[in-house]
Amino acid sequence: MARLLSCTFMGFIAIWIAFPILVVCLAALNGGRTMFFPPEAPTFDRFTEFFLTEEIWVRSLRNSLIVAVGSAALAVLAAWPIAYGLWRRADWASKLLAGLASMPFALPPIVFGVGLVFFWGYAGALGNLWSGIVSHAILFLALPLTTLSIGLQSIDRAHLDAAATMGANEATTFRTIILPQMLPFTASGFFFALVLSFNEFIVVFFVSASGYSTVTVQIFNSLRNGFTPTMAVGAITFITVSALIFSLIARFGNLPQLLGADSRKPS
Amino acid sequence: MSDLELSGIRKNFGDFVAMHKADLFFEAGKLTALLGPSGCGKTTLLRMIAGLEAPSEGQILLGGKDIASLSAEQRKFGMVFQSFALFPHLNVARNVSYSLRIAGVDALTRRARARELLELVQLADKGNNRIGELSGGQQQRVAIARALAQEPVIFLLDEPMSALDAQLRNDMQMELRLLQQRLGITTIVVTHDQREAMTIADKIVVMSQGRIEQVGTPQEIYHKPANGFVASFIGNANLLDGRATNSGVTLGDTHFAVAERGGFASGDRVTLFCRPEAVRLTEVAPSGNALKGMVTFVRDEGIAREIHLDTGAGHIIAEIPGSFNETIRIGDRLHAEFPVETLHLLPARPAAGAA
Amino acid sequence: MRATQPAIPFTVARLFQKFVVLVLAVVPFLLVFAISFGEKIEGAAWVWSFELSNYKRFFVGADYPNSVSFLYLKYLWYSIYYALIASILAVATAFPFVYLMTRLSRRVQTIWLVFFLCSLTFSEVFIVMGWDILMSNRSGLPMLFKESGLTDWLKQTGGLDIMRDWGLATPRNVRFKPSEFATILTMTYLVWPYAVILLYPPVSKINNEIIEAARTMGARPATVVRTVVLPMVRTPIVGTILLLFVFLLGAYVTVAVFAEPAKHTLSISVYEAVRGATLNAPFGSAQAVILLLTAAAILFFGRRFVSHPEGR
Repeated sequence: MARLLSCTFMGFIAIWIAFPILVVCLAALNGGRTMFFPPEAPTFDRFTEFFLTEEIWVRSLRNSLIVAVGSAALAVLAAWPIAYGLWRRADWASKLLAGLASMPFALPPIVFGVGLVFFWGYAGALGNLWSGIVSHAILFLALPLTTLSIGLQSIDRAHLDAAATMGANEATTFRTIILPQMLPFTASGFFFALVLSFNEFIVVFFVSASGYSTVTVQIFNSLRNGFTPTMAVGAITFITVSALIFSLIARFGNLPQLLGADSRKPS
Repeated sequence: MSDLELSGIRKNFGDFVAMHKADLFFEAGKLTALLGPSGCGKTTLLRMIAGLEAPSEGQILLGGKDIASLSAEQRKFGMVFQSFALFPHLNVARNVSYSLRIAGVDALTRRARARELLELVQLADKGNNRIGELSGGQQQRVAIARALAQEPVIFLLDEPMSALDAQLRNDMQMELRLLQQRLGITTIVVTHDQREAMTIADKIVVMSQGRIEQVGTPQEIYHKPANGFVASFIGNANLLDGRATNSGVTLGDTHFAVAERGGFASGDRVTLFCRPEAVRLTEVAPSGNALKGMVTFVRDEGIAREIHLDTGAGHIIAEIPGSFNETIRIGDRLHAEFPVETLHLLPARPAAGAA
Repeated sequence: MRATQPAIPFTVARLFQKFVVLVLAVVPFLLVFAISFGEKIEGAAWVWSFELSNYKRFFVGADYPNSVSFLYLKYLWYSIYYALIASILAVATAFPFVYLMTRLSRRVQTIWLVFFLCSLTFSEVFIVMGWDILMSNRSGLPMLFKESGLTDWLKQTGGLDIMRDWGLATPRNVRFKPSEFATILTMTYLVWPYAVILLYPPVSKINNEIIEAARTMGARPATVVRTVVLPMVRTPIVGTILLLFVFLLGAYVTVAVFAEPAKHTLSISVYEAVRGATLNAPFGSAQAVILLLTAAAILFFGRRFVSHPEGR
């Protein structure tokens, strides 16, 4: 009885979460120009439009990809020394640095967005694609910082002592012991940042300053003219990318551990 | 081959004294065990020797040269860790040849050396296995092979058997001892297991609360403990408080003769020490040193029986050979005889009682 | 002493890198703070200054003391109102779910986690789009209500009139947006997967043996939850509500699409001032600072609430 009840509850939750996503995705099949649910006159024409023929979407998608990949890579590169310093030294300075580096992610993004408008405005870079990349790198720095810290925590410090007694200095130990064991965590941090940057709206909305648009910005801009089924193709693309990446992380990494579950008994 | 000498070495962690000032000498080619309860400073001492911990004061002399300022990677003393610390991202052979790889030795030599070492520890066919596929005993052998790969001057082991179960531990102790004697390498083993120390060591250093209590061969430590702590930490011991006299010791209203009075003056407070297996139990009062008591507990271990008695001078334990016909029961009244040549006088224990 | 020092250029590069990160993460916030004291020049941009007129305008209106306007306080109130209700709703419904989920096998847990991570990262614009389609008058739920005869039934029983009082219906059919209901529903949906991910670590550490121990002492399941489970996760639950609240304070798209203009929030008005129609950066900054201070205040009091349990 209790089992049945809990299964029903979990099933209901699955529907509640999945339903709006499914609705958006199915709307892409609409034959006409208007969004209907259920879709009218199903067709795959919208996919060709989104990926190939409609320049506005093709360009937005390319921008989204550049910003996501660039900022995720930058975030990982910036997070490594901070996470490493925090783990190796754990003094107040490295704790403060890690705390400040996580601040943009923890506070309402709209405030950070406003600040970035001023910041890039002074730097004369507002509306540049690269300033968008840097903005997202800082915004999502907290993600690789977290996965790397979790990974470093799980490294047995006796491994470092062992390497030292065999003649390895700090740089060699880093290269031969720490880095190879940290690859899954580095990759997870990269992909977490990538997926979130890909889907982020408000900050890129501010810093793009109409200089360029990513898919999310383009969709919001088209909002005033009403939704079109082509936008739903974007939704399908995005959810597919997320599903693919998180499945890969789950397959090759320990997702429960990355999300902070008790990892003493991995199975 | 060089001797290792610690001179005036001391270690503090903030206010906490992990190791009081001490001198120690490790003879080349011998196996020394650092023995003591957990928290006695033995691991800190080993880590200072390895270079993983800097001494607060003192010299570490290898063949007469001070190496205290060298880092662990410069000393390259091979070390086996309590958790084995095998690298999970490398296979067995690559773990073993790790030190050679970072020293820039070519791949062919590395492979040959790894095979040679794995043969030495009887794991020749496991070179390509992942660490997780090995049993605890196999992992320990890999850890030993890995530490020996760099041909270290000093070989260090930190509680190497603590992760193994009892039967395996017995086998590995013998194996380690034989390997060490074959290679003739200066070896230092940290352990809290007195039996293990007795099995493998040429020399035992007994430690407690950051101090060295006694240094000696296993026989010396067992039969002539320097004080009450060593006596009770190594095996069972009967320790009775008394006062030295001209010819022996008085325990309350009983007087015992002893063979050696040590340096104690008449009237000094002393502790009388006797191993349980030296105590004899009789039903009629014997002529020599003896106490009358009542049996409070009997433990039958098959090969031996342990009889606990309450006597006027204190609680004592006698260990007698096990036998099927033995009929001693709780409540029996017996005489415990202490042969004069088995008794030793030790400095009086602190009031609270050590160990 | 134990490690050889790395080469000097390496250290310098690392310090420089940390410095850049620090500048990029902190300076934007400092700029917002500094500019909030600036002065808007009519018909032009703005200049550095140090005056409190922007804050005065926020609390009592620009024209004070001749007239008083609480327009922006109302925006702030709606920011807090939507965010608080949605974050509490999300945690209240997500907690039992997470508890059930963590009792499943590690493999099944991983599948659920992938599912929630996908929905968590799914852009706010798409989520708003999904609910917009679902609640739009020409398709989705209102159409479903009409087609299934539910609307007619509501008309007959007078339920439609009650819904009209709540702003959820027109005389002809149900109408879900724009409304407070649609805003809060979408916000709840938006943070629901966050609630799962944040509650997952503490709840997964609730040991089954502790629960079994309580049961062997005669506690029924409901009693176990009340006396053992909830006290153990009190702090993470309050912490999660606070984090979701801070996150939702800045929600933009949902409010822009689903809330009636009269019930808009500070984030809309911040955007209007900084990048939108009114172009008054100093006033926008002042509003952003107040949003931040609100977040900080709620976090501060929330923490105190957690660290001083009742009865002490």
